[in-house]
Amino acid sequence: MSNSAPEYQEVTTKVAYKPVSKRKRALKRITMRLDLYLMLLLPISWYLIFQYGPMYGLQIAFKDFHPAFGFLGSEWVGFENFERFFSSYYFGRLLWNTLSISLYSLLIAFPIPIFLALLINEIQSTKMKKWIQNVTYMPHFISVVVIVGMLSLFLNPTGGFVNVLLNTLGLESIAFLEKPEWFKAIFIGSNIWQNMGWQSIIYIAALAGIDPQLYEAAKIDGASRLQRVIHVSLPGIFPVIIILLILDVGHFMNVGFEKILLMQNSLNMESSDVIQTFIYRNGILNGDFSYSTAIGLFNSVINFVLLILINRYARKKAETSLW
Amino acid sequence: MKKFITLFLTLVMVTALFAGCSKKTVEDHVSEVPSENFNEEGLPIVDEEITLKIFSMKSPPNGAYEDMLVFKEYEKMTNINIEWEDVPQDSFTERKNLMFASGKLPDAFYKSSITPLEAVKYGSTGILIPLEDLIEDYAPNLTALFNESPEIKSAITAPDGHIYALPAIIELNAARTSKFWINHKWLENLGLDEPTTPDELVEVLRAFKNDDPNGNGKQDEIPMTQRNFGSVISSFSGSWGLISQLGNNISIENDKVSFWTISDRYKEYLQFLNKLYSEGLLDRDVFTQTEADFVGKMASGNVGIFHNQASDPFAKQKENYVGIAPLKGPHGDQLHPAGPVARDFGTFAISSSNKYPYQTIRWIDHFFSDEGSIFMRYGIEGETFYYNDNGLPEHNDEILNDERGSGVAIGQFTPWPGGGSPQYLTERNASAINPPEVQAAQEALDPYLPDQIYGAPIFDEKTSKEVDRIRQDMDTYFEESSAKFITGGLSFDKWDDYVATIKSMGLERLIEIYQEAYDLNYKK
Repeated sequence: MSNSAPEYQEVTTKVAYKPVSKRKRALKRITMRLDLYLMLLLPISWYLIFQYGPMYGLQIAFKDFHPAFGFLGSEWVGFENFERFFSSYYFGRLLWNTLSISLYSLLIAFPIPIFLALLINEIQSTKMKKWIQNVTYMPHFISVVVIVGMLSLFLNPTGGFVNVLLNTLGLESIAFLEKPEWFKAIFIGSNIWQNMGWQSIIYIAALAGIDPQLYEAAKIDGASRLQRVIHVSLPGIFPVIIILLILDVGHFMNVGFEKILLMQNSLNMESSDVIQTFIYRNGILNGDFSYSTAIGLFNSVINFVLLILINRYARKKAETSLW
Repeated sequence: MKKFITLFLTLVMVTALFAGCSKKTVEDHVSEVPSENFNEEGLPIVDEEITLKIFSMKSPPNGAYEDMLVFKEYEKMTNINIEWEDVPQDSFTERKNLMFASGKLPDAFYKSSITPLEAVKYGSTGILIPLEDLIEDYAPNLTALFNESPEIKSAITAPDGHIYALPAIIELNAARTSKFWINHKWLENLGLDEPTTPDELVEVLRAFKNDDPNGNGKQDEIPMTQRNFGSVISSFSGSWGLISQLGNNISIENDKVSFWTISDRYKEYLQFLNKLYSEGLLDRDVFTQTEADFVGKMASGNVGIFHNQASDPFAKQKENYVGIAPLKGPHGDQLHPAGPVARDFGTFAISSSNKYPYQTIRWIDHFFSDEGSIFMRYGIEGETFYYNDNGLPEHNDEILNDERGSGVAIGQFTPWPGGGSPQYLTERNASAINPPEVQAAQEALDPYLPDQIYGAPIFDEKTSKEVDRIRQDMDTYFEESSAKFITGGLSFDKWDDYVATIKSMGLERLIEIYQEAYDLNYKK
């Protein structure tokens, strides 16, 4: 736009309209497909308003936010909120709990839906297949509150059926929900139970997309069933696995917050207190918005870095990536 | 490029405009003179109807505020129409904080548990308006109460000299203590005496656990339970001389403030609780149960010992329980914790967006009068209560015998059940929570109440923040470690580590701050 007129003329004479025609062509493309571009406007404005807009508020992580002064009027404090978090007595524990819950989930809970999908795929009877699929994905629809209620009922040290079972086997009752050492196992275990069926659906869909000729060819070549799973099915869904892995790593630091909060009590805090519950306690319940924004930002930055790293790694090694 | 610059500049200007607006609210002051539409005395308060938006907490026993008989009637009396925003207790704190942060303020906060920190933080910046002048001019009942007991006024006055929130004023001792209830039927069944020392308590609890006091042949009795962590600690701490002052775990001796959380007495007390827990005498669920679980256990009548303020949760079992005196501890201490007279802080506050502060203060002041407090506690004579032979108000029988429990039945027409309302409680207007058995239980405690209970001091904003930062970590650590000492998750060999950690979290500074506040407010 700042191009002056003589320059413009020079260009037109020498290079024969090139930059202009490029812009014009783009414009022409847009006007030709105006309806499609108009449709794009909606998601873009959604992103701008609901995803990018709120980022404006991130500044309070570096401020001493006071509602009376608003985002702009609050005083700048630099990295004070971050320093406070890093020097908090509980920083190490929060970080460890968050990382370990996430890591265990990734190591244990991530592969299980894949196995389940492979397993269901190998079932010959359609009826049986449908039945297993239904049974495994039903728990997905139970709300978190109910799940936690069920857990505390089943695991109750007096009268919960798990402990009754232990007692009949001659073992002592265990107050599962009060023991820090049990917390992560219960949390991840119940997550697997609740979500494996649901998460396997996408793999089952991917498996259905594998060309049956590949299986036939493998069969003719004398591949056993297990070999067919390893050499045909698994490579067939490998890109999907990678994509889902990248997506999972993208919210590595966001462990299931509601469920943890509901399962938390003063006895299991040692292993159940994660960064997100800490944010909730300090930010929402205590009204310390700047502090919790700073912690949230720290969380998001780690997520972002991890996402970039795993994506780059996947692009190099597995030749599949988000971008 | 030019377009971008223009756009950018416009944006900057718009945001600056917004910033200007938000600043303005801070300087906004109450107009000096009440508007024409205001009667300084008598009812109605206004001649032309006005509407106030009030934010409030809905406790489990409360019905919807807009349907409450007391407020409907009061609307007719005052000509002030209230638009209630009543938020359930579970999500209340969240909503309150978000409301303050969003700047979309109601006209007033009712039963909103405004903390001293919030009062100072939002008061000093003008979000909540100072009330002391309004009270002096237009709230004769509150003024009278303040004159009668000046310590109430000093307890709610912020360091800058302003009052930003009203308390509940509780003159009735029984409403400031948790009674020591014991299942007398079980004692009789087993031929036992009431325990008077910790050792006797252990004996009684063992018998409750093992000797089948309810006679059903099963070992299904709960020897002792408590509401939550806090009430486990406060249950018998007085027998070790540990009483909470200044709204924290603080002892005051010879005008010197100290935290008993790291004292040897507290260690001994935890060892006692650990013994109860490890023998299964203290309910195993005590740290994980919900309020509803606890209430259910009380109502079941299958518990030997617990602490609770009144008898309404176990109304159907009340014949079986009596309230007894606190235990005499190993060092001869025999005290029972109690709340201060200004028990609930922050029950009512007026925001800067309120156009009718004069009308509002008159509206709330009525509930601190004799007549108004009976109205608030009992509703309307003939409809919900009657005066008994002694001239005291009494709820109608159908309310007291309601299937849902009397608390819920009362909570349908007035907001006080659940606690935290702006109210004035005396022996005259509290029979509902002060039936004969509760009075007897209170009499058993009366000789053992501390001479003086100091309420939580109000710090200025800077100090408040400092206290808050220290306490965020320290309180969590204290609660967690204490719970672990009790359950055996942490051995008492680690006591020194625990003390060292608490100290390293800024204990010294905290003592200094509280000492200063004590010297300023209470030292004679």
